[in-house]
Amino acid sequence: MAAEEDGDVFEITDFTTASEWERFIARLEEVLHEWKLANRDPLPNVPKGKFTEGPWEEKNEEILFADFKFLINYTRLKPSASAEAESRSSREREDADDEQQDEHKPPTITNDIISMDNDFPSRAHCLCRWYGLQEFLVIQPAPNFGVIDSESRAKILESSAAIALSDSGCHVPVFIQLQQKWRKLYTGVAIVPGANISFEMSHLKKLPSKYLHLDGLLNMFKGKLGCEYVSMPPVSVSVRFTYILEDWIHCPWPQMPPDFFSFSEGEVGCSELDVLPFGACEDPVSELHLSCTWPYLSADMIVETSGYTDLDPLQAPQWSVRIQMTEDPQCLLGQLLRAFMELCTRTETTDEILGRLATEGTDPSEKDGGEDITNALQRLTEPNLPYHIPSLGSVVSRASSKLKIKPEEAPIPPNSLNKILQHLFPDATGLGGSQSQKGKGQNSKTRDSTPVEESPPHGSPERVEEVFNEALKQLRSAPPDSLTYRLAVCMAIINLNHGGLRAVAHLWQEFILEMRYRWENNILIPDLGASASNKPSSSSSTTSSSPSAPSASVPAPNLGSCLLHQKLQMLNCCIERKVKRESAGYGHEDTVLHEASSGVFESDTSTSQPDNDAVGGGTAARKVASVNGSTTDDEDDEFFECDDGDSDEVSEAGGKGGQRRISGDSTSPRRPGSGKKNLISEKSIDSYMSDSSFKDAALMKAEGRLAPMKNMRSLSTNEPLFIPVTQEPSPMTEDMLEEQAEVLAKLGSSAEGSQLRARMQSACLLSDMESFKAANPGCCLGDFVRWYSPRDFIEEEEEDGEEKEEEERNEKNISRQCSRTEEEDGRNSASEEASGERPEDSEKDANCEAKIDSPKAADGKKSPASEEIPPQATAKASSSETSSDQDHVSSHCRPQRGHLSQRMQIPGNMWVEVWQSARHIPARRQKRLFDDTKEAEKVLHFLSGLRPSELVLHLLPMVIHASVLKLAEKEDPDVPVLKTLTDQVISKAVKVTRWPHPPEVKRYEDVIRMIELAETVSSRSKSLKTKFTRDLLEKGKAEEELHNFVSSLLQQPEVDVRGGAYGPAGSAIHKLFSAAQKAALMILEDEESTGEDAAAQPEQMKPASTVHDFPSPSAREYILRALIPRPAPYSRVLPQRMYCVLVDGDYRLAGAFCSDTTFQ
Amino acid sequence: MEEQEILTTLKILIIGESGVGKSSLLLRFTDDTFDPEQAATIGVDFKVKTLSVDGNKAKLAIWDTAGQERFRTLTPSYYRGAQGVILVYDVSSKQSFTKLDAWLSELETFATKHDMIKMLVGNKIDKEKREVSKEEGLKFARKHHMLFIEASAKTKEGVQCAFEELVEKIIQTPGLWETSGHSLRLDAEGGQASSNCYCVV
Repeated sequence: MAAEEDGDVFEITDFTTASEWERFIARLEEVLHEWKLANRDPLPNVPKGKFTEGPWEEKNEEILFADFKFLINYTRLKPSASAEAESRSSREREDADDEQQDEHKPPTITNDIISMDNDFPSRAHCLCRWYGLQEFLVIQPAPNFGVIDSESRAKILESSAAIALSDSGCHVPVFIQLQQKWRKLYTGVAIVPGANISFEMSHLKKLPSKYLHLDGLLNMFKGKLGCEYVSMPPVSVSVRFTYILEDWIHCPWPQMPPDFFSFSEGEVGCSELDVLPFGACEDPVSELHLSCTWPYLSADMIVETSGYTDLDPLQAPQWSVRIQMTEDPQCLLGQLLRAFMELCTRTETTDEILGRLATEGTDPSEKDGGEDITNALQRLTEPNLPYHIPSLGSVVSRASSKLKIKPEEAPIPPNSLNKILQHLFPDATGLGGSQSQKGKGQNSKTRDSTPVEESPPHGSPERVEEVFNEALKQLRSAPPDSLTYRLAVCMAIINLNHGGLRAVAHLWQEFILEMRYRWENNILIPDLGASASNKPSSSSSTTSSSPSAPSASVPAPNLGSCLLHQKLQMLNCCIERKVKRESAGYGHEDTVLHEASSGVFESDTSTSQPDNDAVGGGTAARKVASVNGSTTDDEDDEFFECDDGDSDEVSEAGGKGGQRRISGDSTSPRRPGSGKKNLISEKSIDSYMSDSSFKDAALMKAEGRLAPMKNMRSLSTNEPLFIPVTQEPSPMTEDMLEEQAEVLAKLGSSAEGSQLRARMQSACLLSDMESFKAANPGCCLGDFVRWYSPRDFIEEEEEDGEEKEEEERNEKNISRQCSRTEEEDGRNSASEEASGERPEDSEKDANCEAKIDSPKAADGKKSPASEEIPPQATAKASSSETSSDQDHVSSHCRPQRGHLSQRMQIPGNMWVEVWQSARHIPARRQKRLFDDTKEAEKVLHFLSGLRPSELVLHLLPMVIHASVLKLAEKEDPDVPVLKTLTDQVISKAVKVTRWPHPPEVKRYEDVIRMIELAETVSSRSKSLKTKFTRDLLEKGKAEEELHNFVSSLLQQPEVDVRGGAYGPAGSAIHKLFSAAQKAALMILEDEESTGEDAAAQPEQMKPASTVHDFPSPSAREYILRALIPRPAPYSRVLPQRMYCVLVDGDYRLAGAFCSDTTFQ
Repeated sequence: MEEQEILTTLKILIIGESGVGKSSLLLRFTDDTFDPEQAATIGVDFKVKTLSVDGNKAKLAIWDTAGQERFRTLTPSYYRGAQGVILVYDVSSKQSFTKLDAWLSELETFATKHDMIKMLVGNKIDKEKREVSKEEGLKFARKHHMLFIEASAKTKEGVQCAFEELVEKIIQTPGLWETSGHSLRLDAEGGQASSNCYCVV
């Protein structure tokens, strides 16, 4: 090669005489110097076991030989810190010493070759394994530059390397990689002072039978060294036999493949639908490799020939085991997840998948009529099926009748579909068409089949619980007992076992139908869980005087769950609202009728008691009340049902609470009426307080009261304040919120934008104000603020002069009228007793009683005082008065002196504005803030618009969630790796499910891969446990030993068997082998006549007693070592080594032979 | 500096009892004004401001919420995706301080980013009558791993610092925010710009 390259003179620039070959050598030397390998002190010996554990270090460089690129690689065992320090200190010591002494120190390489500490490392570079080297250089062709397949090229490279080595004084061996890479064929050379070492290797498919045993190999070794004739110094031998156990006779893989047919046969219950499969289909542990090692033998001591062997595995001093895992065991859970995720790549719509049959089925307008035969499912039903069957029953029977018409069209056979739907909607089981269930789907929740798995959990219960809680808290999916979760798991199982994509589409179709059915028939969807969002609001609602959402039986969409779950929760909210709305509607009509006929205050069932109490007594009161009641009714009718100008005017009057004209008209005829009354009803007394408030009280009957506010009285009327029934806040799903936030954000951050935003969001405020006004006729903004935003009502502690005066006046009044008050108290209590309708809360009553008196005491003075005062001022004045009264009369009354905060008093601010425009309308007659019909349709539209691929993405969080729980359940506490894996899966899953916006398949792929890994590891541990625990033990004590052995097998590539063949683990392994062997031999005996050839494998070792327990070793390794003078008998004594590995069809001999260069 | 590209958009939330001065703080920060007659917020309000911290320019979308309990059924929806939250109390109102626990638990429930940065701001330190001492505030913040600062929207004290500190902390938290393709500049040219802040982590 070099000769050819000589012609390229033009290219040579620097040194004209140098050939490519010389340049190659020069470059090689350069690299050696660069890596500081030249003239270096020998490395210390490698401690035992270091080859496997120690970190290896590599350096790489490219080298050109003409235009052929080579890679040169230096690999060495990283010395431990202490060894390095030692070598440094020794170098320092030797620096002082004579040069001569250095010469005598044997180079690294010769030490390595004869060292017996690191034979058969379990994991190391092949060159290290074969030659025991701790450092070496490899020159190999760069990728795509062909292979070195001719001897001459190899020789050129080798000799170039040799020149470079000797020139630079480098003692590191250099190997040239020959032939194809997979053959791992190398030739090498090392130059040490006074000697050469040549590394030779042969790699053969077949070896002559005489060399197949130690005997033959020894002869070969001696022959190679050329000293058969000399009295041979002892050759030391290390031997390692590896036996492979493939048949696990006693413990077949316990995992049964899933039974694909049982389900459709209808014999298996619902549990199949919510239990994810887990484990490997095939045994994840395929082979056990037992290596028996005889580390130091003298060749003279042992005999191994084709006929006889001393090497009995049971006598081997060292046993070690490695486990061969099945490449890719088919793990059930992983398979399920993959198959499910596969659906994400499908682009078909549900309609396309189910064919034209279903196309009309998605049109919502056609779902109403059971007779409508264009509807996909109804087309499949028996047309004469009675339509009144509610809930699932009908859907199921509709679906089941599919079979009668087009059985081949239904991807899920009707029986199965029935089961699945019953599993998903347990509240529908046993309905069978009983009408009684209608409208109370939630009550009929009879869930016998809980999704809790029956199989006893593998992992510790605490851990399972921990993971359960962790997953529940962090994952954005749905609670494990929810419908959404069941649906997801069910879909995944159905996809894998019962018909794939078509089945998924089919079930989805059915699911949507059921959703629509429930919506239309007012049946709540079961098991949509409690919402986390309820927690804080319920806790805050304990402060009863503040507004808060009434706790709904149906939770609002939980924003911590996945979108699909939110949507279903939303639908449920809609159904609930619809039910409420419809029942409330009827209820209202009833009460109106009732009121009209009886004239008793019963306008609202939730209206609070004090009204009734006051009225309960005599006929006169009832009469007045009836007058009041009927007026109110009239007003109401006009006011609410005919929304005309008049009523608006009235409402405004009510709102401002100070329009003289109307109040004058309406109050004058009443006052005498109330004055005539024997019994002092709360209402009538209050009406004396001020004309305007009387007017309000008279005009506006209180409606929609929820509960009295603790110790609060109106500032304007001094009536007890009531918390109104308010419209519940609109439930929102995250996408709706996002939309809303976007709209709000789009308004920009200008002042106008803010104003507009406030206006847009004031609907709820308006509704609440209207409800409040309805519940508290004649109230003022101050009252509202005290309920709604207590901090915006400043209670005064230091009164200004005017107020003080007023107070003093009041005090006088009060002291003057104290006696009267007492009298009346007595009368009052009498009347209350008579009424017999006391509210439960006695404390409240006491307050009321006390309060009732005070305005009356002051009434003579107050009515004129409040005239002509603007509403705000009225409120203030009256509040200060009444509260000061109460301070004296009832000490535990809340002081009600005060004024609105500055910001609430800004003229024209939103609150005042909204307050002014608010009318007296109880919540139930207001415009709905939440349009359940529209929202439900939106949800249903969303559901039916999902392609199966999108659906899968929406379901994946739950399926992942279920898988995580499965992992935790199967987690083996003995294998710490599993815990780590599960935790990793969780944290990854949390990230993926919380990823904002469109879910991505790719992200799920990673999670699924991690789940697969965890599953595989878990299956392996399970497999090993079944293999090793079973009564293989003779001594009971050793159980722990075996236990440790198994867990270390999972974590280390190779595990030493303590005590060799006679340790507990060793004897267990022995039993496994002998069992397998017996089984194998029995077969052989049976087939003796035909199976002669098979039995005639080369090494059937007969004589030794225990040999029968083990098969013939599948790999035999020998390392022969000797110290022999070479090449001539008078040469120096140098180490020689030959490594042989004999595997059927792959024989390799690797020799390192030193020859003296001085005494040849 | 003006031409510099925006590194990221951060969502910041201001919560706390009604009337503690949430809107005023925000207004002081965004417009550098103070209106004693700041109207009570209805629902949520929204302001945008770009802020430069250590050479990294961030666009802040700040959501100001109403403190009234009734609005709390609406506002949690805006907690989603917020990287930072400013929890405000009024140093002249003990009650606004004692309610902080409820706010935190609400935050816990509704926030989607679990590593969001929380900052406690004691507002209205200009007021004579103080009901919550700085030590109490510090103690609370330490207990709940929050940043803490006292401020006054009226006198301007601490407001700018609060927002800067919060943003800096968010940017320093890996994984809390996503770049829009630009690399982060962490050349410590300024270290801490205005350094008379007494922020505690």
